[in-house]
This record gives sequence, structure tokens and C-alpha cells, in this order.
Amino acid sequence: MASHSESIIREPLITGKNITYAQITNDVLRPVENMPGKAWWIGFSVASLGACLWVFAVSYTFWYGIGSWGLNKTVGWAWDITGFVWWVGIGHAGTLISAILLLFRQNWRNSINRSAEAMTIFAVICAATYVVSHMGRPWLAYWPLPLPNQFGSIWVNFNSPLVWDVFAISTYFSVSLVFWYTGLLPDLATIRDRATGIRRKIYSVLSFGWTGSVKTWQRFETVCLILAGISTPLVLSVHTIVSMDFATSLEPGWHTTIFPPYFVAGAIFSGFAMVQTLLLVTRKVLGLENYITMFHIEAMNKIILLTGSIVGVAYLTEFFIAYYSGGEYEQYTFLNRFIGPYWWAGCMMYGCNVLMTQLMWFKKIRTNIPISWVLSIVVNIGMWFERFVIIVTSLHRDFIPSSWVMFYPTWVDVSVFVGSIGLFFTMFLLFIRVLPSIAMAEVKLILKSSSEQAKKKLIDGGHLEPEQVEYYKESLTSFDSVDITDYQKR
Amino acid sequence: MDSNKKYWKGLEELNKTPEFVELNKHEFAEPIPIEEVLTGGGLEGKSPRRDFLKALGFGVGAVTLAACQKVPVHKSIPYLIKPEEVTPGIPNYYTSTYEGQAILVKTREGRPIKIEGHPNDIIAKGGASAQAQASVLDLYDVNRLKNPLKNGSDSGWAQVDDFVVRELLNIKASGKKIRIVSLTVSSPSTLGVIADFIKQFPAAKHINYDAVSYTGIIQANQNSFGKAVLPHYNFDKADIIVSFGADFLGTWISPEEFTRQYVSNRNNKSLESKKMSRHIQFESGMSLTGSNADVRIPVKPSEEGLALVALYNAISGSTLAGTKAIGNKVAENAITIAAKELVAAKGKALVVAGSNDVATQVLVNAINSLLGSYGTTIDLDNPSLQYAGNDAEFAELVSDMKSGQVDAVFFLNANPAYDYYSSKDFTDGLKKVGLRVSFASNADETSALCNIVAPNHHYLESWGDDNALSGYYTVLQPTINPVYDTRQAEQSLMKWSDIPAKDYYTYVRNNWDKNLLAKGGLSGQSGWETLLQTGFVKAAPVTAGSYTFSKDLNAVAQTIIDHSNLLAGDKTELQLYQTVAIRDGKRANNPWLQELPDPVSKVTWDNFAAMSPSDMKKKGLQDGDVVKIDANGYSIALPVLSQPGQAQGTISVAVGYGRTVVGPVGINVGKNAFPFHSLRNGTLQTSATATLTPTGENSPLAQTQTHHSIEGRNSIIKEASFTEYLKNPATGTGKGEGHKEYDKPDLFWQKYDRPAYDWVMAIDLNACTGCGACVVACSAENNVPVVGKDEVRRRREMHWIRIDRYYSFNDNGDGGVTREHEIAKLEDLDHVKVVYQPMLCQHCEHAPCETVCPVLATVHSSEGLNHMAYNRCVGTRYCANNCPYKVRRFNWFNYWNDSRFDNYLNNEHTQLVLNPDVTTRFRGVMEKCSMCIQRIQAGKLKAKIEKRPLKDGDIKMACQQTCSANAIVFGNVNDPESEVSKALKSERTYYVLEELNVKPGVGYQTKIRNISEQEA
Repeated sequence: MASHSESIIREPLITGKNITYAQITNDVLRPVENMPGKAWWIGFSVASLGACLWVFAVSYTFWYGIGSWGLNKTVGWAWDITGFVWWVGIGHAGTLISAILLLFRQNWRNSINRSAEAMTIFAVICAATYVVSHMGRPWLAYWPLPLPNQFGSIWVNFNSPLVWDVFAISTYFSVSLVFWYTGLLPDLATIRDRATGIRRKIYSVLSFGWTGSVKTWQRFETVCLILAGISTPLVLSVHTIVSMDFATSLEPGWHTTIFPPYFVAGAIFSGFAMVQTLLLVTRKVLGLENYITMFHIEAMNKIILLTGSIVGVAYLTEFFIAYYSGGEYEQYTFLNRFIGPYWWAGCMMYGCNVLMTQLMWFKKIRTNIPISWVLSIVVNIGMWFERFVIIVTSLHRDFIPSSWVMFYPTWVDVSVFVGSIGLFFTMFLLFIRVLPSIAMAEVKLILKSSSEQAKKKLIDGGHLEPEQVEYYKESLTSFDSVDITDYQKR
Repeated sequence: MDSNKKYWKGLEELNKTPEFVELNKHEFAEPIPIEEVLTGGGLEGKSPRRDFLKALGFGVGAVTLAACQKVPVHKSIPYLIKPEEVTPGIPNYYTSTYEGQAILVKTREGRPIKIEGHPNDIIAKGGASAQAQASVLDLYDVNRLKNPLKNGSDSGWAQVDDFVVRELLNIKASGKKIRIVSLTVSSPSTLGVIADFIKQFPAAKHINYDAVSYTGIIQANQNSFGKAVLPHYNFDKADIIVSFGADFLGTWISPEEFTRQYVSNRNNKSLESKKMSRHIQFESGMSLTGSNADVRIPVKPSEEGLALVALYNAISGSTLAGTKAIGNKVAENAITIAAKELVAAKGKALVVAGSNDVATQVLVNAINSLLGSYGTTIDLDNPSLQYAGNDAEFAELVSDMKSGQVDAVFFLNANPAYDYYSSKDFTDGLKKVGLRVSFASNADETSALCNIVAPNHHYLESWGDDNALSGYYTVLQPTINPVYDTRQAEQSLMKWSDIPAKDYYTYVRNNWDKNLLAKGGLSGQSGWETLLQTGFVKAAPVTAGSYTFSKDLNAVAQTIIDHSNLLAGDKTELQLYQTVAIRDGKRANNPWLQELPDPVSKVTWDNFAAMSPSDMKKKGLQDGDVVKIDANGYSIALPVLSQPGQAQGTISVAVGYGRTVVGPVGINVGKNAFPFHSLRNGTLQTSATATLTPTGENSPLAQTQTHHSIEGRNSIIKEASFTEYLKNPATGTGKGEGHKEYDKPDLFWQKYDRPAYDWVMAIDLNACTGCGACVVACSAENNVPVVGKDEVRRRREMHWIRIDRYYSFNDNGDGGVTREHEIAKLEDLDHVKVVYQPMLCQHCEHAPCETVCPVLATVHSSEGLNHMAYNRCVGTRYCANNCPYKVRRFNWFNYWNDSRFDNYLNNEHTQLVLNPDVTTRFRGVMEKCSMCIQRIQAGKLKAKIEKRPLKDGDIKMACQQTCSANAIVFGNVNDPESEVSKALKSERTYYVLEELNVKPGVGYQTKIRNISEQEA
């Protein structure tokens, strides 16, 4: 894109000294073009064991019935829909990064959008499996689709948020897939050009005959922008509709108008946490520190802080409205989150999501990789508990006290959830082996303008304000991929 | 015109090249590779011919084999010659008798599928107990004995008859005693057969043996008035009822009858005429009756007698010798108040006691005599014949057996090896008896010890009659051919004693022709036929005389006080009771009853030690902690349950559990508490002192309700005191209290016409006693699955109707502490008020379940019902989550075809009990109350066929029909004259969770308690 120089006070998006286009390709494609290392094999073995557990637990459920879960007459949804919403939420970061940040020309997204989008797809797959497996008669899972049929005049219930959900999730999945794949095309072509034999054939099919001509690039950019435009409302709509699964009901604790924005913020919050969890490991293992830099980590932490705070405000609003509405059931439901038998789940939710993320106000914490990673996991745990609290803690004590119950998960509940994590990581680990985990073409776009070496050249040129240079150098101190002594020599 | 034109096909042909000429010599211009194909070249190709054939062969073979799997064959044979009276799809109803009560048996295609109360039955007036409802399932019990047994192995009737007759003749010759032990027999014909048998064998004697005995009352009446009878009580004539441990609404003598009577002074009709009876209950464990009382005072068993003495003193104004203080301030105050009220209501008062102690009952007689109850609320001249057991006679039999004087004993519906308090004495004695015959239709503890088991018919296979109340003769007629090779017990006795009648049917006929038909003004064949249609005859009652007690009471009082001293002390006092569902344990193999939650504790599939919450706290026990209970030299380990209202220092344990020889359903469910009884002064005592030792184990109880307080939610339960009600009948409903009117035009909901019918229901909380008969009736009508203890523990019972039970606690007299955290702070959890609320699908006009179903599986009908289309349901369970009443039930498993649910319908034979009008539900679909849609359709169809409009009352819900209290009214609200329209117009009517604007179709009427302000 722009070949003009970027302001020196901006932190570099690519670090390293002799980064060339070829270097980028080599770095990014290292895992794709070489045999996997030990770490990958260990990770893959664990993940695929998890995936096998998932297959077993889901098959067990299909064979014996939903009764193998811990649900009961009062709590009709628990780990299933908790898992579903959790996964859908996680998916949101990918779309936000790929679509909204693209529209806002946030170039730093270029290094992370590929993995984030892949994560979106896999998370939505995990979520969709829950949609089917939580049904009493999963073999009829196609009935909520408005398909012409021979059953007579049977149609779906367009009033039901579950039908909206079917549309929301399927649209989301297909648009995300197309967007992700379109973005992959130039990178696939790069792999194709470097590959031989059968790999070359496969990648040449996958790259849809990319030629790299100017016209192709121009069309590519246009398509990306259009798809970004289509995806942008999805970032807001999908979780809005998921939240309506709850908000349109009568259930105290669900029947809340704040749910759509609150769920969207929560989704982005958990999504960024998951991106953080994945990329902090990936950049280390795959040696991509120069492309996913401290700037990215800190930027994502800031988003986590922002969305976490929005979620916190939503929590407070819920409590206020429960108090202000005077609705005795709603008041009880919210009190019950703290003083009821599931108080510990409520504490996990509020503690992990609100209290812990407030630590991100400190730059030291934002730029500390181990703490960031731990906090990202904490957020993921907290967001799982948020859904658990909303679903189970609301349901288990609603209107009629005679029907109040406790919910105890069975081994099948746990296995389906743990297994879905295994499934997710299996897909993710396969992804980083066969596809470039960083959008090479897009990173190359910013090499000339926003890389450390470009900035260094500017400094060496010596036409800059010294304060600004000092500021720049100062900001580099937190970068783990920058050798700060290079700057101190001068 | 001919043509020489010759068309050529190619230049080769035109030019006649040599190659072309050469090739054209053959039939095919190019050689066909036949040789190549046949000689192996073809076999080396990419898809060789042989491989193709192999694959084809294998494929066809595999498909054929796969198709060979046996498809289940369901034999359904149409009626080739249709019986005149059977039309497939149309039920036939027959009159019959269940335990002395006239009933109707609904049969479909020749099989009885449902018991319904007889509308003219004088006992329950159309109501039927949970036991009666469940009895039909016993008919299809696959564990019934299928043929006679001799020495424990299968035998035939001829061999059995030979053996018994030979033995009997030997015994007759030897002159040893013969005994027939039975549950109280009130059937005139059975008594006739037994009498004839005794004529044949003069050494024989008939002993009525009731596991739960009323000897105390019978003996007391003998002592007091010279009439050894169980009186007939008229609770409907009593303005004030004071009961000392008599659970007359749940298990005592004739609970359905008493419920009907009791409620007639408390239901909406009575309230509208500004009348409500008052009921004070003194008892140890919380019984169904106690939970319905206006005032309930927990007393220890040792205090019960003292309280009666105090009551006598207060009423008579004298002091009996040896009188001592109860030592329970609350009870003393209550006695003073009760005495005042009783005296004020002289002639309209009734005092009853559940004790089986003769002295206690004599004192009760004295009190009732002072109150002028005889001839009004108590009728000694038209007595109840339901129980005639004599504890002393049976004890004598045991000692006779032990001393070897008895050489033959017959057991008819009696199972003393299980339910006699000293079963060891009994079994030791039985070993010395030569001929031991049991008529048990299911193997039981006693039949296991008998050398002959001559299985009786199920009552639905039998002829017979009954006479539960004097003057009330009911007939028993079979509704199905005997399913197994069984024989009616009376027939066996006749066979063995050479009674000269062709069969028992003839015997019954003769008996009726000679003695009974005339009592109802009937005679001859036509009289008999009328009887079979009407079900009973009722002789004109004798005028009830008034009796005055004139015996000396000082000795009686001394006995009572001695008994009290025996129990009082530091030890825990143990009280034995029957549960409403299982009663004496005879029906332990009935899964409907086992899964029917106990009305008070809501426990299923178990008995337990009920203990007061403060005692639990003191002992550091939690619900479900198993304790060893030692009393009267017997011990069992049972889980404890915190029971608010249980008298401190006492535990209550239900009998009827712990069967060891019974079918797979009832075996080892709970522990046997019968051996805790003791024999004192000739009667069995139901209390004892016990020591408790925690075992450290925990066995969670399967309760259908685990949260017991209403949390101050007065839009669910609305109640008021009778005084408040008199001032303003709408008290407590929230009407006219400035609440928002919810009947505004709706923004989101379209209003639909209900052109013909709008089905609704009204439930009177003041009539419902909470007994749970409706739950079993609903299960029977609607094929509701039984899920078993483990699944109930997981809170997955399937009942379409449930009875919610809430406690509220008194706090320094201000009453109504209902919030969990406030209850936790209370010191006094003894004084507790209970309310029952039947809860079923409310058929909301704005049904929240309907809007959320993605596939429209649950929709509204034009008759105001919320339908459930099982076939369309995909099982997302959103409807259940969104139901504020939590009445929807999900089929977590395939209860019909899953070996883990063997305790119910997992076999083809038992499935014959299913109502063919109601589909069974597959795994993964939601179900709920349908308002007996099949009954509505049948009713409408019947009216249409008869070319008349549907009348109010033509259609009755299964729950409504069985309710002895008539607490449930169903009907068409479009008809302003219908009973339900009138009921809903009552000032007391409110709708549960009205403020949600779901517009429920079920209206409730407030609970009214007859309590004075200071008690409130």
C-alpha cells in the first residue's frame, strides 16, 4: 500500500533487522514446508485425543439420549448451550479483526487476522456441533430449516429465536469461510509457486489459478473490502441473535434488553482472549516474534481491557435494573448469583471477567507475555462461567420454588466440552501445518512503511525530531523481539 | 422408377481401397476381442471381469444378508367374529369393587385399562384413591404367579387339590386346629364360603389379621358401649375436628370418604355460605391430615395420651386421678383452646385418635360422649366393616402354632411373615404347621414359607362382592379372563371343603338372590342384571343412636399415663405410620405407587426417618445421612430427612417398605419397620423408644421437590384467614388492591376467537388435600412413564401433574416466614403451615412455550388448549426452559425400550395397560399435560353422534375424576352456566404468576385457614 514513511512515533509492526519479502515468506512458510517438530506432535497428540473423546461422548449421547447429560426437568440447558455460546463468542474476534479493523485501516491486524479468522471458523464448527448434539432427536436437526417438505403445510416458527439462530450461525459460518478463503488466495499461490510434485498440484487447485497480475490484486482488494462490508454487520448481528435466545424468553436473568450489546462486547472480549492465548504460543513455537510483536500483544490487551470493562458495566446495569425494576423474580435471580448455591460460579464470572481484566490498565502487565497469557486464559474461563451463570444459575431457581433444583454435570457433559476443545485444537494445529498462519501478502504490504528496519532507516536519515526518536526508542524497550542495544550504541 | 443410386459411406468405399475390400469381407469390419477377453487379457485390465462379478456377488450377498435381519412381528388379529359388545376404539365400562368401594372399570378391546370412581359410590362419590388407580397395573404385573406351586415348584391344580384335600382330611381326623388368616374380609360371599368351610372343618377358625390394626378402637367400643365395631365417622357433620395422630385424610380407616366429608365443610361452596369447619391436629410426624389442619401442634407420642387426659379434664371440668402436666406449653394452651371450642360446638364436634391403644380410645369415647358426638358425628349403628382385625387373636394363633396345635393355615391377602411385628415367632411357629397354604397372587414373604401356593385371581378377574359400610353392598365382576393359570381363593376353599355349588360365581349369585338383592329392592335375574349395571345396593340405614359413656375412667387414665411414662425419657421416641402411597406395603411391586411422591415429604422409592430440623442440627445430621435405629430389639439403618413440624425428640418411620420377597420393582425398596411394633394390652402399639446411631453413610433420598418454602412469592400461593375472608372474600387475591389490570389490549398478542369451546380449569386450594391420587390417575390415563429412583434423584420424574407443597414458619406469631435465609435464622421450626398446590400445564393463552419452539411443535388450539405435537418435536427443550410453571417433561431416555427401565413397561405384557388413545412418547421429545385431549375428543364425538350439544360435565379430566375432594373443575368457560365458569367467578379466584401476562387457563382459589388472628 502506502510507500511513504510512517510517523516515527508509531511503534513498528514488524521487527527484525534484515526482513525482506523473501524472508517473510520463508519465516511464515517454515511450518508449512517442513516436517513438524516435537512440540507440534505432542500438541497434536493431546488435541486429537481430545477430539476422540469428543467423538466418543457425542456418540454416547446419540446412542442413549440426552439423559446421559446432567440436565433435568428444570434445567433444560446447561453445559451444552454454555459451550455453544462460548464457542460462538470466541469466534467473534476473528471477524472483528478481519472485517472491522480492515475497514478502519488498522494495519496491525495484518499479522494476526489469518489465525484469528481460522479460529473463528473452528470455533463456529465447535458451536454448531452443540446445536445438533443438544437436540433430543438430532437426526431431525434439519427441521428448523425452512425447507420445502412433504409433511404438509409444516413450516418453521419464525417467531422463535432458535430459528433466527439457525440463520445467524449459518450465515456467519459461510461468510467467514468465504472471507477467510479469499484472503488465503495470494498466500496459497505463494506456496504453490514454491512447492513441487503433488503439493504443487493441490495448492494450485486451492489457489484458484492466482496469477498475481495487477488486475488480480485489484480485484482481490475489492472483494476483500466488499466481504469486509458484509461481515461487519455480522460481528454485531450474530451474537445479538444468540443473546436473543435468552433475551426474548420470560426467564428472569434472561429477559433483559441489555443482552445484545452486552453479548457482543462479551464475545469480542472472549474472542480476543482466545486469539491472545493461541498467538502467544504460536509466535513462540513457530518463531514468528518479528511479525506478531509486542505492539500486537498490547493492542489486543487494550481491546480486552475495553471490552471487559464494557461487560463490567453491563453487569452493573443488570444489577441496577433488577433493583430498579422491582421485579421480585429478577431481583432474586441476581441476588442468587451471589448468595445462592452457585455463588462460586458467580464469583468466577465477575472475578475473572471484571476484576482480573482491570489489571490491564498497567502497561507492565499488558506487555508481560506470561501474565498476558495467563490473563487470556482467565478471561476464557470467566466467559465460560458467565454463560454458565446466565443459563444454569437463572434456570435452576426461577419462578416456582417447588421446581428449584441443582444441576450436576455427568462425565458425558464434561467430555463433550473438553472434547470440543480437543477438536478445536486439532483443527487449529492442522491449520498451521498446511496453511500460512500469517497473511504473508498482507504483512508484506506494510514492510516498507511500518517495519522496524524502515523506521531505523528514517532515524539513520536523521531528519527527525529527537524527542520523537527518543519516544520511539522508549516504546521499543518493551518489545521482546527488538535488541534495544542496537539503539543505545548511537 | 428404380434407382441405381449407390451411396458410399466413405472415400475408402468409393475408391475401393484394398484394405477396405479386405475388411469388408467379415461381418464386423474390426475384429471383436472375444479371444482376448476369454483368454486372460481381459482379466488383467483395470476392472477385470471376475473382480466385477466378485464385487457384484458380494454386494448382492451382503445386501441380502443385511435385509435378513428379523423385523419385529406384531401380531394383531382382527376380530373375525366380533363380540357383540366390543367395538374396537370404544371403551366399555363395568361396575366393580375396589376394597369395598364401588368403581367403574374402563376396558378397551377386552382389557381393563383404567379404574374410575363410581359416581354414585357412597364412599367417595366418584373419587378413587391412588391405590385404586394403580391397582389396574397389578393385573399386568409379569411377576404374578402363573400357576399353583407345591413346595416351591410349579405344579397343577389337580395335584394341589389332591394334596390339600388329603391333608385336610388327615387333620380333620387328628382334630388339630385349622386357621384361615386373612386381611379383614368384608365380602359377604367370601365370609359365607369361609363359614361353609368351617362347617366342614369344625376345627377351623377365621382370623382377621390387619397389618395396620384398628383393634384398639373396636375393643374400646366394646368396653365403652358393648359394641365391638369400627364406627362410621361423619366428618361432614363436624364443625370442629380435633385429631390426635389420626391421619384420616391420608391413611386412617377410609381416607377417601373422610376427605370428601371433610372438604364439604371447607370448599368454595361451603365458604360461600360463610361456613368453614375448624381442624386442630396433635401429632408427632407431619401427616397429610396434619398438614391440612388449621392448627397443628407437634406432640411426642408420650405426650399424646397426656394431652387427651388434659382435654378430657378441660371438657369435663373434673380431674382424672394421676393426671400430670403434658410438659409442653404450646400443647397445653392448644388443649385449653380446643376444649373451649369443642364444648361450644357440642353435637357438631368430633375427636379422633389414631392410637391403637384400647385405653386411649376409651378416653376418646368418653370425650366424644361428653361432646354429644354419638348419633351425630359418630355412628355406631351403621358401622364401618373395613377393618375387623384382632391383634390378640393373631398373637394367640402364633402361640398355638408354636405349641404345635395348629396343623393347617391358609393365608388370604395376609402376609404376616413380612408385616407381623414378631415375624420370627411367626415363622418359627409356621414351621410346625403341616399344611401351609397361601393364596398370594404374587410371591411374598409368607408364600415363600408355604408348601402350597394357590394363586388367587387379580380382583379384576374375579367375581365377588363387598360390604365396607354396613348396608352398602357392592358387587365385583370380572372384566377380563384370567390371564394366568390362577384360581379364585374362594373357589379353592369351596373345592377343598366340598361346598355344593358349581363355582364361586354361582355361590355369589345364590348369596345375592337369597340375602342381598332384596336389601336394595331387587330380585331375580333382572335384579341381578340391574345390580351388575348399578354396582351396588344400599339398604336403608339404621337410625344412629346416641350413646353415653358411663364407665370409670381413672384406671383408663392410669394406663395411659403409664404408657406415656414408658415412652418418655431421654431416648428418641419412634412413631410408625403408613405413607399415603404405599400404605401397608401390599402393593410394593407397583411402580406407579412407588413413584408417587409422598404428599408431605415428596420422597419416592424409599422410607426414611423423619426428624425435626432442630434435632438434625443438634445431632449434626444432613438430609440423607444414614442412621441406625434400634427399638424393641430390632434395628434398621435408614436415611434421615429433615421434616419441619416433626415433634422434637421424635422420629417417624413408615411401614410398608423393605419387602424382601416381591417383584423386581418393590424388592429392597426401603427397610421394614413393622418389627418396631410391640404388643401391649392385646393391641399392637405404633410407638416405641429408640436409639439412633449415625452410620456415617449418606444415601440421598429421591425427592421430587427439594426446595420447600415459597420465598414470599405471593403471586404463586395466595392465602387468607377465614376471618379475613368473611370480611372480604377476595382477600389475598390482590383484587381491588390497586394492582395494575393486566387485561389490557395486547401489543404483541393477537386475540383469537374461541368459537365453540374454551377449555379451562379451576382448582380450589382449600379443597385439595394434596393426597396425590390425581398424579396416579393422570399417569394411568396418559401413559406417563415411570423412571425409577435413580432418575427421580436426578430430578427427572415425568408426572404431568404434580402437587407442590410449601411450608411457612411462624416467627413469634407473625406467621408466614417463607424465605430461605430468614428460615435459616429461625429457632422454632416446629410450627409450620403447609399449603398444597396441584400444578399442571396452565394452557396459557399467551403461551411462552409456543413462541420459542423453532419447529412449531407446540401450538395453540382454537379451543384454548396448548397442544404438543410429539412427532414434530426435535427436542431443543427451549419450551421447558421458558415455561414459568416448569410443567414440561422431557423424555431423557427411551423409557419404553431401554433395559435400564425394566421396572415399568419394558415388556409387552405390561404394555397392555397402556391407554390406546394416547400415544407413547419416544426419546428426545417433550411432553406435558394435554388436558386429556383424548377425553375431550371422545366427549365431543359422543355428543355429535347423539346429535346433541355437549353438556357441562360430559367431559372429565382424569385428575378431576379421581379427586375425592372435587378440588378440580374442568369445563368450557364459553358457557356461563358451566360449573367451571361459576367456580372461576368466585371472589377467591386468582391466577398463578398473573403478572407475567401469559394468561393461564387454570384458575386457583385462595387457601383459607380457619385461624383466629392471634394464631395467624
